[in-house]
Amino acid sequence: MTAALGTPRVPFWRDVRVLKWVVQIVVVAAVVAFILWLYGNYVENAERQNIPTGLEFLDNPAAFQITGNPLSQSAPVSDALYQGFLNTLRIAVAGIIAATLLGTIVGIARLSKNWIVARMATVYVELVRNVPLALFVTAAFSVVVLGVFPAVQEAWTPLGLMVISNRGVAVPWFEGSGRGLLLTIAVAALAWWVVAKWRGRVADRTGHLPRSGLWGGIAFVVVMVVGWFAFGTEATFPDLDGRSSVGGIRIDPSFFALFLALVIYTASHIAEIVRGSIQAVARGQAEAADAIALSGFQKMWYVVLPQAFRVAIPPIGNQYLNLIKNSSLGAAIGYYDLTLVTKTAVGNGAPAVPAFTLTMVIYIAISLVTSLIVNIANRRMALVER
Amino acid sequence: MRTTTKRAIVPLMALALLGAACTSDGDSESGDSTPDGTEAPAATDAPDATTATTDTDDTVEVVQETESTLAKVIDAGVFKCGTRDALPGFAFLDPSGEHVGFDSDFCRVIAAAVLGDATAVEMVDLETDARFTALQSGEVDALVRNTTWTATRDGAEGATFLQPTFYDGQAMMVASDSGFESLADMNNVVICVAQGTTTEGNAAAEAAKLGLTWEVRAFEDPELIQEAFIAGQCDGWSSDNSQLTGFRSAYPEGPEALTILSDEVFSKEPLAPAVADGDSEWAQAVSWAIFATIQAEEFGITSENIDTFAETTDPAIQAFLGQEVDGAVLDPGLGLPTDFAYQVVSQVGNYGEIFDRHLTPLGLERGVNALWSDGGLIYAPPYR
Repeated sequence: MTAALGTPRVPFWRDVRVLKWVVQIVVVAAVVAFILWLYGNYVENAERQNIPTGLEFLDNPAAFQITGNPLSQSAPVSDALYQGFLNTLRIAVAGIIAATLLGTIVGIARLSKNWIVARMATVYVELVRNVPLALFVTAAFSVVVLGVFPAVQEAWTPLGLMVISNRGVAVPWFEGSGRGLLLTIAVAALAWWVVAKWRGRVADRTGHLPRSGLWGGIAFVVVMVVGWFAFGTEATFPDLDGRSSVGGIRIDPSFFALFLALVIYTASHIAEIVRGSIQAVARGQAEAADAIALSGFQKMWYVVLPQAFRVAIPPIGNQYLNLIKNSSLGAAIGYYDLTLVTKTAVGNGAPAVPAFTLTMVIYIAISLVTSLIVNIANRRMALVER
Repeated sequence: MRTTTKRAIVPLMALALLGAACTSDGDSESGDSTPDGTEAPAATDAPDATTATTDTDDTVEVVQETESTLAKVIDAGVFKCGTRDALPGFAFLDPSGEHVGFDSDFCRVIAAAVLGDATAVEMVDLETDARFTALQSGEVDALVRNTTWTATRDGAEGATFLQPTFYDGQAMMVASDSGFESLADMNNVVICVAQGTTTEGNAAAEAAKLGLTWEVRAFEDPELIQEAFIAGQCDGWSSDNSQLTGFRSAYPEGPEALTILSDEVFSKEPLAPAVADGDSEWAQAVSWAIFATIQAEEFGITSENIDTFAETTDPAIQAFLGQEVDGAVLDPGLGLPTDFAYQVVSQVGNYGEIFDRHLTPLGLERGVNALWSDGGLIYAPPYR
């Protein structure tokens, strides 16, 4: 430890700090160079063969129609892509809501003390999780829609409310101002929330049971009924008319099959997450709920599930992302989501590379927004913990 | 102005992807990689991009390589033909796994003309939406895959279409017991078609023209269309007349269960082979391979009787078959062997033979696909 033996200056080629930087820069430069090389080759080859490399194709007429959409075939490709994007959002939103509900129920059922219920849930999860989704999609279409549903001439009309055939499932719908209905629903939801809050305060003051669900529900229904008549909204019921149904709204058979497959498949994954998350909640919590004589439902609803969902949100968010991406499998059965619209556009003259790149960017955007929403939900749940 | 911004988006998107990749690669320190990356919009101009790439030796080679596909095919000794595997009559697999059909035979015609061997062909099965990409990237040397020649495909898909081998048109097929006798009967119906084809657009245009409401459903593969059709999901099955004839002949309930409304063909579908843009030497070679089958039929030369023409005194036939005329063999300079027509006809056959072998059994008539001398459209330029 004398001054003469003091640490010599490490030459820069052996200095870890410098090396770290150098390696990173080299890696980045190599990746950038490689991508530029690929891109350069692509542009050059494309130009030699007169293939457009820009996005001008978006303004060309699409020259095809989208099933179940009034879009005219002379509309530009960009409009067709937008309709495909909306169809992807439709299947994603509907699928996410249904898969979450079914997954939660099955996840709880797996832990049921009822032997049959628990076994059935296990069989469902294990069977479904281990089969490729593409098979479910084709099977939902070939077996359920084409095999089980009747031809339109012999359509099922349960209670006169629905028309079910292999050309789609028609359900009652409303007629009138869509905005008015949305506004009514929003006000009704607000009324529910306000009434529930008020019942909570009353319960705090008086010690009576709050029954906020009952009171809020009544408020919701009252506002809905008032709004329904105020806006002059009317219900239409589907009816069979020769080879198609009139009235109501018809759910496209491809949508139905894809929805069925995505929900059954994704719910099996969500069920496992829910089961794991419930088991991750400390046992004492459930025992404490039993000790204060909460019913089975109250124990789950007020004590266990809120804590379980805190654990479950990030992995369930991943399942949502999977569901959105998996919705592109609907192309095989003719569901015009973003992927199928892009493929059809490419088949009708749009250049493949820019078209598919654009579609990928749109999927990335959808996924990032979904992650953002899940992260916000996660952060809010996490805050409650403190 | 608008064009340039759109053009700039594609490289930017690529860079955005790259940026995402980088940040997940390293830790936060590599953050300065992103500025590095965003400098690159200089690469928006194609010339810049190419100068950047000339650093790599490989690229230089690729850039300077202007070798014709013709030379490449001859070097490789095998012709890669883009085709399909499930269209009866045009190209499908027989029980031994061999490609059989009208299109498959034209693949063999090209191989016989270029390489002198009809078996020196590698059949590459392509999905409909991948066929042009495969052609552009050189995965296949030519596309003989039941493809309609259209202006957009000629212009924007980087393909050059050649002599049509079959003049087709879109028709409608319905169940025989459906009661539909013409397109005008078909209002508020569901029409099923194959995805990614010109069929979708034609059906929509025809419905608009006739003032009918058709819901067009598009499926990825014909098996699923057939399933949907049998289940009664579709009232009509629309496709090229030739394809419908093929599907009808293989229909599980027998061909009589289906009727093609063939009086009302509502589109022009010239099915033509295609090669990549920018290679006229190769395009000419492929064209003349096809012309040889037509010319042979016109001369009455078949694979059966071709050897009887060894003693012919007709100078046009002698030149065509690569025999000496006045001590000289005609070499038109197409880059093909002088006896290519002989190889094509002796190994595969003439146009009529190919048609009779694959399409007549399906119930297709020659119709507009008869020789021009019989009032059809099949015509070859003179070989001289």
